[in-house]
Amino acid sequence: MPLLVKVGSFLRNYFFSRRVDADLDQEVHSHLELLVAENIRAGMAPEEAQRAARIEFGGIEQVKEQVREAGVGNWLHSVFADCRYGLRQLRKNPGATAVMVFTLALAIGATTAIFSVVYGVLLRPLPYTDANRIMAVFEVNTKGTWSHLADPNFDDFRDQNRSFQAIAKYNQDVVSVSGPSQPTRNMVAGVSPDFLKVFEIQPMLGRDFTASDAKKGAARTVLVSYGYWRQYLGSSPDLSQSHLKIDGALYSVIGVLPAAFPFPADVDLWLPADLDGENPSRTSHNYYAVARLRDGVTVEQANQDISAIARRIHDTSSEQSDFLLKDGVVVPLQDSITGKARPALLVLLGAVGFLLLVACANVANLLLAQATARERELAIRSALGAARGRLIRQFLTEAFLLSLVGGGLGVLGALWGVTGLVALAPQNLPRLDSVSINIPVLVFAFLLSTAVAVGLGAFTAARATSGDVRKGLGEGGRGQTGSQGSQRVGRVIVAAQIAITLILVVGAGLLGRSLMKVLEVNPGFRVDKIIAMDVSLPWEGWDNPKAKASQAIFFSNLIDRLKQIPGVRRVGAASGLPLVEGGLPNGMFLLASQNEVPKTIADDLAAMFQQKERVGIADFCVATEGYFQVLGIPLIRGRTFDQHDGPDSPHVAVISESLARDRWPNQDPIGHTIEFGNMDGDMRLLTIVGIVGDIHEYGLDAPPRPTVYVNLFQRPRSAITLTMLSDADTRSVTSAARGILQDLNPEIPAKFRTFSQVYSASLGSRRFNVILTGFFGIVALLLATAGVFGVMAYSVSRRTREIGVRVALGAGSGDVLRMILSQGLRTIFIGVAIGIAGSLALTRTVESLLFGVTATDPLTFGGVTLLLVGAALLACFIPARRATKVDPMVALRYE
Amino acid sequence: MKSEPTTLLQGTLDLLILKSLIAGERHGLGISRRIQQITGGTFVVKPGSLFPALHRMEEEGWISSFWGESENNRRAKYYRLTKAGTKQLQAETKRWGRISWAIAQALEAS
Repeated sequence: MPLLVKVGSFLRNYFFSRRVDADLDQEVHSHLELLVAENIRAGMAPEEAQRAARIEFGGIEQVKEQVREAGVGNWLHSVFADCRYGLRQLRKNPGATAVMVFTLALAIGATTAIFSVVYGVLLRPLPYTDANRIMAVFEVNTKGTWSHLADPNFDDFRDQNRSFQAIAKYNQDVVSVSGPSQPTRNMVAGVSPDFLKVFEIQPMLGRDFTASDAKKGAARTVLVSYGYWRQYLGSSPDLSQSHLKIDGALYSVIGVLPAAFPFPADVDLWLPADLDGENPSRTSHNYYAVARLRDGVTVEQANQDISAIARRIHDTSSEQSDFLLKDGVVVPLQDSITGKARPALLVLLGAVGFLLLVACANVANLLLAQATARERELAIRSALGAARGRLIRQFLTEAFLLSLVGGGLGVLGALWGVTGLVALAPQNLPRLDSVSINIPVLVFAFLLSTAVAVGLGAFTAARATSGDVRKGLGEGGRGQTGSQGSQRVGRVIVAAQIAITLILVVGAGLLGRSLMKVLEVNPGFRVDKIIAMDVSLPWEGWDNPKAKASQAIFFSNLIDRLKQIPGVRRVGAASGLPLVEGGLPNGMFLLASQNEVPKTIADDLAAMFQQKERVGIADFCVATEGYFQVLGIPLIRGRTFDQHDGPDSPHVAVISESLARDRWPNQDPIGHTIEFGNMDGDMRLLTIVGIVGDIHEYGLDAPPRPTVYVNLFQRPRSAITLTMLSDADTRSVTSAARGILQDLNPEIPAKFRTFSQVYSASLGSRRFNVILTGFFGIVALLLATAGVFGVMAYSVSRRTREIGVRVALGAGSGDVLRMILSQGLRTIFIGVAIGIAGSLALTRTVESLLFGVTATDPLTFGGVTLLLVGAALLACFIPARRATKVDPMVALRYE
Repeated sequence: MKSEPTTLLQGTLDLLILKSLIAGERHGLGISRRIQQITGGTFVVKPGSLFPALHRMEEEGWISSFWGESENNRRAKYYRLTKAGTKQLQAETKRWGRISWAIAQALEAS
């Protein structure tokens, strides 16, 4: 019953508020009349009775307000009232409101867009059961860098650990697949049998690998991705007839994985690893490893466990060298996938956060100016019974309206912005496909808007309701004394804005200068007019001379045919292009003379590798003569390859300049012989015949690496990249080349791209960071300039009378200009000083992203400071000029 | 009319209002005067406290209101106890008894 009454009152208060109010009004007045009547009965004169009754009753409006506040549902009612009132306030100053909403929309939108990238890449959990229990396992080498695992080491980790409920190794490769349809180049993963158990994934159709599928010589089996099954196997529910020819060997399809299993990224097929047997070397690092923690085991414990096993291997292994593991490490898989992207994304998030602060400062200043103008209104409302809490709530409501409208528009903008960001983002940014505006991002945007609203609302409310509101009535609207305080606050805000903007622009400047420095680097090769074509023949094993001979003939024919395409000037081939992700394999070579050729790998070679003075480390690149010509890699001395270097003549090598300098200081390396058989299984010695220029193969910002080039026709391999230097149209060359390949072998697919695309992609992440921080910097600069202008213009308009008096007393326009400018300059310099100090402290966080400049680069600091001071001075100058135009007569009559 | 600076304990005002209505309906001023009378002038309930309390208690369903004629033929809003109000009065009375006994005990202890 009481509940029903309550609901009834709520509805009545809500829907018949006018009648309820009229009723209350009547009640209060009748009470007053009764009081008067009582007083008259007690013998007072009528006027006296009126007065006494009013005194006893107190403020009529206040009493009514108190009753209303006690009412059920009043809260909701008054929120609506506040909103209505707030909207009316905002509509009253449409210009200022539009500026504030736009500023907030821009800042909240930009922050939301960047957060969506940070969330998608760094925070969003991987899409597996208990994904945070899935770890990546690495070896740690003597230099402290993390590397892949060698087979025997993985086996020891697997068999000896006490931390994992499942551990598996995997690698990735691109292969030719034919069978159901046109030959395609697909990404495959070679995995050990527990791979899916680590992810706790079951095939949606068919079965998982078993231990016997992975045994040496077992029948060849393959798991396919859902997408591959749909596209190439016709979604057939019966897999018994599905076979795929992968690199020439026939595999039976045994299962289809669920649609959303994206690991490793872009893989279509999973094969058992090591069907040809494991590599017994502990220094051949060919596999990644993933593992799932046992229940109750921490990452820390797993680390200690793996580390202990690794050190035991290190201490007992016979293969002591720089390539033998020294330690092992376990990290969450998510961190290992996104680790490289983390610093840059956090810097971007920080930058956009700064932009948000600058934007909020502008809005705060605008609100502050309005609040000053509203002092009278506040005074009247409080005289009419509004409690201070109610006034504060009014400000909060207005700030909420602003922020939510701004935030809503910002999210709309972010929807569009995220599409742009994803398009702009570097291709190597992991997990880019999981970036979107989703529920957590929307929650973030809402919380952000709320935080902004609370901040702005509390700030203006605290400023506006501090002190005695009654003063507002007495002041008669001149508001000169009351505004002194708020002007000081305004200047503090502007100084903070300048400081934050300076930090942001310095950061953007450092990144921009780094990009310029990177672009200044001479890569050591030509970029334009080169078309690359990836071709992969079936892999026929390491030790198959007949297959290698036919590969050499195939590529030789292919190169000859490609040269005849109209417009193609030169054709080369190499095992890897510079600037491509992944890079070339590297390893240890041996300085050996003709009569020292080791007879048995295990004994003699191991002994020779112990002799430090005859060991060198280099990248290994299989190339043709044409490769140097196409890329324009200069010959420093000796010769590159020529037609005399056949498979049966002495094998030759060309080395890079840095290798010559480091390994043969003060000597001529030409004529020396080396053994580099651990790269391709060929133990024949290589005679150094030439030295070529260094190239920045791992990116312009990475130093050149010592490289050994061997001749493709002496050391053939199955997968190469052909390079064509062509003046003709890319599309016509591409289709001609595709036709030639079809003609030579219809089962071999090819992939094309231009070298400029590769080059451009290699700069992708730097460009991304520079564009974004630059954009944020420019916006912050504009906002800060607007902030300075606003505060100065406001101050000048407030001081019109004072300036008028000064001019009337004989101050020249120069004096006035100086006075206003010096006031502005003080604010600017304080801001700049704080900003420089802040930059010195904060630019260290971007140090890892810099190239060729230090985090305290004086040129950047100086340039940015000048830019900022210049812009701020300009913003001061306009109001200052206006001040000099003040006509003393008008100013003195002002108001 | 002297007003003692005695602040009403939370809930006490409700109790006093309910009690003042036990003998029948009263208007606001009547309630105020009745409380003044039964507390021997200790509590003077000002309109700023009285009206919010009346409206709140009406919304709670303890009292109901209607417009009537006052003793000298003026329109006035009258309040009377509901069934729930009578129950509430008993509960409040019991509660108050316990509190005042406890306070008295506390003050007597040395």
